[in-house]
Amino acid sequence: MSNFEHHIEVHNLSTWFGKKHILKDITCYFKDNTITAIMGPSGCGKSTLLRSLNRLNDLVPSFRHTGIVLFRGEDIYGPGFSVYDLRTHIGMVFQKPNPFPMSVRDNITYGPKLHGTKDEDELEKIVETSLKKAALWDEVKDDLDHPAPNLSGGQQQRLCIARALSVDPPVLLMDEPVSALDPISATKIEELIVELKNDYTIILVTHNVQQAFRVSDQSAFLYLGELVEFDETKRILEAPTDSRTEAFITGRIG
Amino acid sequence: MTEESSSNPLNQIAVKITQSLKQFKDSDKPGRIDSLGRFGLFIPALASTLIIILILAFLWFESVPIFIDPVGGPGIIVSPTWDPNRDLYGIGIFIVGSLICTGIAIGLAVPLGIGGAIFLSEFCPMQLRQPIKMIIEMMAAIPSIVYGLWAYIVLVPIIKYNIAPLANSTTNGLSVLAGGIILAIMLLPTIVTISNDALQTVPMSLREASLALGATQSETSRKIVLSAALPGVGAAVVLSLGRAVGETMAVLMVTGNSLQIPYSLFDPTYVMTSIITNQLGYAFVFPLWRSALFAVGLVLLIMSMCFTITAKLFIRWGMKTRGYI
Repeated sequence: MSNFEHHIEVHNLSTWFGKKHILKDITCYFKDNTITAIMGPSGCGKSTLLRSLNRLNDLVPSFRHTGIVLFRGEDIYGPGFSVYDLRTHIGMVFQKPNPFPMSVRDNITYGPKLHGTKDEDELEKIVETSLKKAALWDEVKDDLDHPAPNLSGGQQQRLCIARALSVDPPVLLMDEPVSALDPISATKIEELIVELKNDYTIILVTHNVQQAFRVSDQSAFLYLGELVEFDETKRILEAPTDSRTEAFITGRIG
Repeated sequence: MTEESSSNPLNQIAVKITQSLKQFKDSDKPGRIDSLGRFGLFIPALASTLIIILILAFLWFESVPIFIDPVGGPGIIVSPTWDPNRDLYGIGIFIVGSLICTGIAIGLAVPLGIGGAIFLSEFCPMQLRQPIKMIIEMMAAIPSIVYGLWAYIVLVPIIKYNIAPLANSTTNGLSVLAGGIILAIMLLPTIVTISNDALQTVPMSLREASLALGATQSETSRKIVLSAALPGVGAAVVLSLGRAVGETMAVLMVTGNSLQIPYSLFDPTYVMTSIITNQLGYAFVFPLWRSALFAVGLVLLIMSMCFTITAKLFIRWGMKTRGYI
């Protein structure tokens, strides 16, 4: 494997959906074992940037891109790079909780089973560790065979985090993971994200400046597809250098 | 002023109209009109349940003579000999024939139909999906007798000259296999369209979650999309089951209508719907014969009800384990 400084680096990335130019010449990197927040008003391309990192944008037939995204020093859009391999190393949590319509246990074992884990004891262990990491174990350990959609919204989202952790990816992408939840569940998940930082590189899309401030170490501020600022969160929020960032932080745009 | 307006015939009509409109709007409020409406809607709901009970009762009433007569009795259900001239009314052949034909049809149509639905919903390019769906829906509109005619001149010879020799067997082509295949073709549009609709209602976010875990598109469609849509796909199978057991014309034309238990796929047989259609005309003056044919109808109805109930229970179980209900 080639040398690399960060798990994920983005160089001069531009993307289009059809003729619509979404991301404009983005260059940034995501430090290991930190939380990077991607902030910006609606429609600025936050989610598109996130989905470019695990190639989920490829599902849209009209998607085009220029530039390079490196994962461990390799171009993920390069020829011969396995997108399935990439996605087992980069987990993702979505905006709305989307547990599979099956039991809690099957939700967690789905990923490991896909990648060839057959041993029942090992799967059992994965279920327990993943749920413990997602702070859900104590609530569901007696109901592992109950259908996952019967859980509460907050529990469902933590289950989705546990599901993403089940294949042990070094990087976790989170697309506004708490915006669809009630405040108490949201706080719980925020705390969880900070805890997960020790073992994972987390990239968090958020609409919410306070959340970015509480949770993240570094931040990228996107505006209309351009990367306006990219630095430590504290620095950006305390002394924004760009007037657009300031306007967003103070609530004048967004 | 008021006197003038009330005496004006045009105004009187206007008042009448606004009054009845007001009454119509008020009919939503609890009261006599409301309860009248509720009672009025109760009647069609009751009628549809009553109809099935009445049909069952009527079939039972007509088939009682053969079940209590010494030459018949309940044993006719398992007896294989049907010969009204000798007062032998065994209907076992027809039950076996129908079950085998339905089995072949379901065995062919369900995997093919679900496969087609998965292709349409998950892999088919957008521009092709609508045209293909339209053609498949048109297939459902073809009358069954036309399917029968086609099978008689195309499918039956193919079985006679091309398929049977492969199995070192001789047949004139009129066989359970022909009946099963033509039934399968007739069931396909139902299964494909209903399953496709069920697959399309599975949220995109589930597909994304699966792909984001490193699953391929084929793993996603088999293990997530199909599994999530299984209750809907099950409904498609239930509908087609009912149709397969009850289908008459096409099957009658290609199964050979021979009074024997089929021991191979190429043997002819006689199905329940065919015997009723073929013999009811002659049987009407012979009470026992007639009653035996009604008994066939009764068994057919009970069979298809059992299929439907079993399948419904299965679907309910599927929905429970998926957390839909």
